[in-house]
Amino acid sequence: MNLNRSLPCTPMESGANKIVSAQPSLCLCNVSLQLDGHAILGEISLHMPQTGITALIGPSGAGKSTLLRCINRLHDGWQGSIELGGQSVRETDVDSLRRQIGLIAQKPAVFPCSIRDNVIFGLPNQQRKSVSDESIRQVLEQAALWREVETRLNDDADTLSVGQQQRLCLARALMLEPSFLLLDEPTSALDPRSRDMIEHSLQSIASQIPLLWVTHDLEQAKRISERVIFICDGRLIEQADASDFFSRPERMESREFLRWNVCDCD
Amino acid sequence: MLLKFSLYACALLVLVSALSVPVFLLHASMPFWQAAGISSIWGREWYPYEHLYGLLPAITGTLWSIFIALLIAIPCGICAAITASELLPRHLAEKARIGMEVLAGIPSIVYGLIGLWVLLPFLQAVFDMLTGHSLLAAGLMLSLMILPTIMLMSMDALQQVTREQREAGQSLGLDWSTQLTRVLMPQAWPGMRSGILLALGRALGETMAVMLVVGSLDRLPQPFYNILQPAQTLTSRIGREIGEAAFGSIHFSALMAAGLMLAMMGLTISLLGKR
Ligand SMILES: Nc1ncnc2c1ncn2[C@@H]1O[C@H](COP(=O)(O)OP(=O)(O)O)[C@@H](O)[C@H]1O
Ligand SMILES: [Mg+2]
Repeated sequence: MNLNRSLPCTPMESGANKIVSAQPSLCLCNVSLQLDGHAILGEISLHMPQTGITALIGPSGAGKSTLLRCINRLHDGWQGSIELGGQSVRETDVDSLRRQIGLIAQKPAVFPCSIRDNVIFGLPNQQRKSVSDESIRQVLEQAALWREVETRLNDDADTLSVGQQQRLCLARALMLEPSFLLLDEPTSALDPRSRDMIEHSLQSIASQIPLLWVTHDLEQAKRISERVIFICDGRLIEQADASDFFSRPERMESREFLRWNVCDCD
Repeated sequence: MLLKFSLYACALLVLVSALSVPVFLLHASMPFWQAAGISSIWGREWYPYEHLYGLLPAITGTLWSIFIALLIAIPCGICAAITASELLPRHLAEKARIGMEVLAGIPSIVYGLIGLWVLLPFLQAVFDMLTGHSLLAAGLMLSLMILPTIMLMSMDALQQVTREQREAGQSLGLDWSTQLTRVLMPQAWPGMRSGILLALGRALGETMAVMLVVGSLDRLPQPFYNILQPAQTLTSRIGREIGEAAFGSIHFSALMAAGLMLAMMGLTISLLGKR
């Protein structure tokens, strides 16, 4: 059964027919991907508002990470169309596309250099030399890391705890002033305190740019998100406002997933 | 208890054998140092029948040939490794790796023969030399022999850079050359450096192949950068003459001293590599 084939590729709500926003920040239309001959994603169509957090949920192996990697073109073999700010990502130069889209991975990967150098790692050469301490402080504050590293910016980044490293990765992405953030279970490896700090800082970032946040933690999705996209087995099951989705999901699969955290979509 | 004891015993054994090498060499070369004095390290003449045992030409020859070998093999090996591991499709890279492993496994005498047959006539023709025997020939020979080591270790080092690290770099929108110089190389460099040191050790100790092409003539290059001249290395000196030297003679002891010099060069290399 394929639920998405009938979905229009316009920013229309699937059920309630209400318009999400005049212009979606991200719009996927019939995106499919095969890897090694296996269909990983099947005709996914979805759209995201201009700001706010959209939670991408689904059981493990559903293709959530893969979907994020298609958006910033770490996977490039997909069919369909992905538009960011009205422009096809295929028509944008891949490096500048990735500078526009920050990606925070599940496991933080810091580079073997100082904390300061990690923050400015993505900047072009000239800018790295001329960058002001003030802007470094700003992004570190945004990532809720400033107070912990204030006095040790020149220490090696791998002396930080995993939770701090994850926030460093966030600061590193923010330094490029992205217009969109992709987050792949950014808190799954972290302790509750670091998790709360990241959630908090991302919520304030979300007032300016849209965030697509993968999580398998439904409680977290309830806490943070304004919209929810539920995928299972590489297919989109439901997308709705968070309040609607968690109180009265439309599809049977969503109800099952909310109750038992399993999804049997075939 | 017994396990720990045997572990300590093994460690002690390794330590003792490592220390015994220089001690043994020093002991065996003692008669030479007493007879000829430390000044023979920079002596320029080597005529055993006249009791002249100057080591400088052989030391210079060794240094020159290693230098030429590294000058060629380091950039070639690293660039080839980058091409194979980062640019070629996986199956071609694996073929390149197998090819290099085969090259690394060929005994050095075979390289020497190929050098005699191909390299010397080639140099002779190109540089209009008498025979082609020269420091350049030895350096080229060595560079070919250590290239596989450097390339294989560099490939391994590059492939050790995790997918997470690569994707972190890509996600920041770094272009390919920036990714190479700022993400891959800094992390692969320690592994590459071990490869270079290993290769350097091999080049330092290589005897047979060098002996066949270096010319075995005790002369300092004239002028000092003239690498088209036949010359001598420490290894080829020892390899050529140890059979002729009477056991226990000064000549014999002088060759031991040459061995000691080699061992000390090797030690210096390892120490430099530690930093
Ligand atoms: N490079 C790949 N080649 C083949 N299959 C892959 C690859 N990456 C992921 N997959 C498969 O795609 C499916 C979705 O993976 P993923 O997107 O990581 O799931 P999620 O993030 O939702 O847990 C899994 O079944 C996984 O085995
Ligand atoms: Mg995942």
